[in-house]
Amino acid sequence: MQEYFRNIWQGLSTVLTGMKITFKHLFVPAVTIQYPDVKVPLPERVRNRLYVNMDDCIGCDQCARVCPVNCITIETVKSVPGEDLGKTSNGKKKALWVTQFEIDIAKCCYCQLCVFPCPTECIYMTDVYEFSELERENLNFNFVTLSKEEILQKKENYAKLEAEKAAQKAAAAKPAVANPEQKPTDN
Amino acid sequence: MNLYDFIFYFFAALTIVSAFFVVTTKNIIYAAFNLLLTFFGVAGIYVLLGADFLAIVQLIIYVGGILILMLFGVMLTNKITNVQIKTEASFVIPASIGVGLFAGVLIAILLKTEWRNSPADIPISTLVPIGKLLMEEWAFVFILLGVLLLIALIGAASIARKE
Amino acid sequence: MIFEFFADLLGSQILSAIIIAALPLVFIILYVLLANWLERKVSAHMQDRLGPMRVGWHGWLQPIADMIKILQKEDIVAKDADRKLFSAAPVLVFVGCYAAFAAIPFSSAFVGADLELGLLYILAVSSIVVAGILMAGWASNNKYALIGAVRSAAQIISYEIPTVFIILCIIIVSGTLNLTTLSEQQSGTFLNWYILGGDVEGWKKFALIPFMFIGFIVMYISSVAESNRTPFDLPEAESELVAGYHTEYSGMKFAMYLFAEYANMFVVSALVVAMFLGGYQSPFGYVGDLINVPWLIPIEQFFWFTVKGLFFVFVQMWLRWTLPRLRVDQLMALCWKYLIPIAFVNLLIISFLMIL
Ligand code: SF4
Ligand code: SF4
Repeated sequence: MQEYFRNIWQGLSTVLTGMKITFKHLFVPAVTIQYPDVKVPLPERVRNRLYVNMDDCIGCDQCARVCPVNCITIETVKSVPGEDLGKTSNGKKKALWVTQFEIDIAKCCYCQLCVFPCPTECIYMTDVYEFSELERENLNFNFVTLSKEEILQKKENYAKLEAEKAAQKAAAAKPAVANPEQKPTDN
Repeated sequence: MNLYDFIFYFFAALTIVSAFFVVTTKNIIYAAFNLLLTFFGVAGIYVLLGADFLAIVQLIIYVGGILILMLFGVMLTNKITNVQIKTEASFVIPASIGVGLFAGVLIAILLKTEWRNSPADIPISTLVPIGKLLMEEWAFVFILLGVLLLIALIGAASIARKE
Repeated sequence: MIFEFFADLLGSQILSAIIIAALPLVFIILYVLLANWLERKVSAHMQDRLGPMRVGWHGWLQPIADMIKILQKEDIVAKDADRKLFSAAPVLVFVGCYAAFAAIPFSSAFVGADLELGLLYILAVSSIVVAGILMAGWASNNKYALIGAVRSAAQIISYEIPTVFIILCIIIVSGTLNLTTLSEQQSGTFLNWYILGGDVEGWKKFALIPFMFIGFIVMYISSVAESNRTPFDLPEAESELVAGYHTEYSGMKFAMYLFAEYANMFVVSALVVAMFLGGYQSPFGYVGDLINVPWLIPIEQFFWFTVKGLFFVFVQMWLRWTLPRLRVDQLMALCWKYLIPIAFVNLLIISFLMIL
């Protein structure tokens, strides 16, 4: 009998205690963050979308080689003598025209491995993380600064140089072919 | 046609049509739910006759109690036993004799009663007179009925007990 | 009152009856939109969240957006479901809740039907809801739905008993079942409310207060149970029965269950308010009396009734987000071992007090 009344009392009082707690929480400011309007500050070394500063890139291809998922595609063309490509910000001389530099972010796993080997520190992580797209192709970011015509021209220049070199070589090689017996003695 | 006529014909049609389905349908569940409509229609007619207490009691006891009990019975036993819950016409001849007799009695009463055809007054509540009658004139019977129901309750509880 | 007003205005009884019947529907729709928003907001803030924030100011248009969404939804009927009953069940459930609104005294001028038996009538039509729920469970041809329906019916029927006992207490004290009369008896200030002993004279009033209070609590607990809300939401326990008797429903039919549930919440709150908390009476007196504008009084009464009703709807939400769900045996133990004996003893004591 005593337990019966104690049960009633406990039932009522615990319900009231619970209600008191929830009522208090009614006035506790919410912890919700209204995402697109309010953004959580990002941590310092956060990894997000990659960016390449093409002014500094020397086209060394190290980042493409280290990438575990092969999402960086680089194509370079050698410069011809007399062309000045300028220097990178830390003083290295550029020697290659970068004619293709694409990062397929859809494949990227944000491992950041490409960032470390870069000799000029021109590929790095930004704090942009909202870049959803409806087409997968749109995630293939192209960083090349040269225009199409320029690329064609650079390629032509290089091809011409090659052709010239080849012609010179051919000219130089002819006498050598004429008297092959002399060669060992030359050495 | 005024409002009362309209409501009366509505409830009358509801009662008759659903009662017809109760008898003819082959599916017990359909019969039970049609019975709900029948009870409801009868309750409506009670209200129009000024018997509001009867109407409410009709709803509480028949719809809220007996019908639910029937539904429980059908629903809970349907899958346990392999009996198909379909009704079929059996014992046609004895049944029709019985129904015929009953119908005769009903029709006789119908014809013999002197129906009051006075226009419908605004119904006044029957609650207070019924309460007075139950508590004063028929108090003994009322208490006896209560005791009877109590016995039924205790009986049901003792049957339901495990041992 | 309002019936005669419309009948005079339109010159037709049938037309005015239809209008009177439609008014609670308007009220239900507006109220459901509000309550739905309130439910989300209350639940969110009790959990230190914000809830809907995007559609309108603090998301107040969210229920409307949801309603538009639900109207466009495909109406799916499961292959093995019993088509006819499946479509009839939500209507029946909603009709049961809607019918109860006929007897609710919103104000002295607006009572759908001023029934002598108002209290019993509301109990009676709620039994139609039980039949509708059973129908839904059966027609879905789904074990979760059936279990949910049977649980719900058992629960509603069990908790009707303490409700009736408490209604008997009120009848003994007030001598009426008419909800309007009940409200009129509690006019004046809140000291005349039945929870504070009503307009009984002398020491009896003070003797009645504790028992009225017990009655009020029992009544409220069982009315929460009757509207199938947490902590008594076993019929639709998400974690075990998916959604109980409306598991198979979608689109508009599902919305009807939603409407019925919220309407039911208001009905039971209104019943508690009418019985114990003065019905549509203001707790302090009326502005209309003060500045001598008689037509203002019914409007104020409507305001007070809605506010009180909504407060108890809020308490139901509050309880929902406070308490975990009961187990089936706890549910039955609460009803049969606690509420019914307490209500019965309460009834005996109150009748004894009133005889003295
Ligand atoms: S972050 Fe990793 S995966 Fe992405 S581009 Fe760099 S190396 Fe490749
Ligand atoms: S490692 Fe740096 S410099 Fe080399 S190709 Fe990649 S981005 Fe350019």
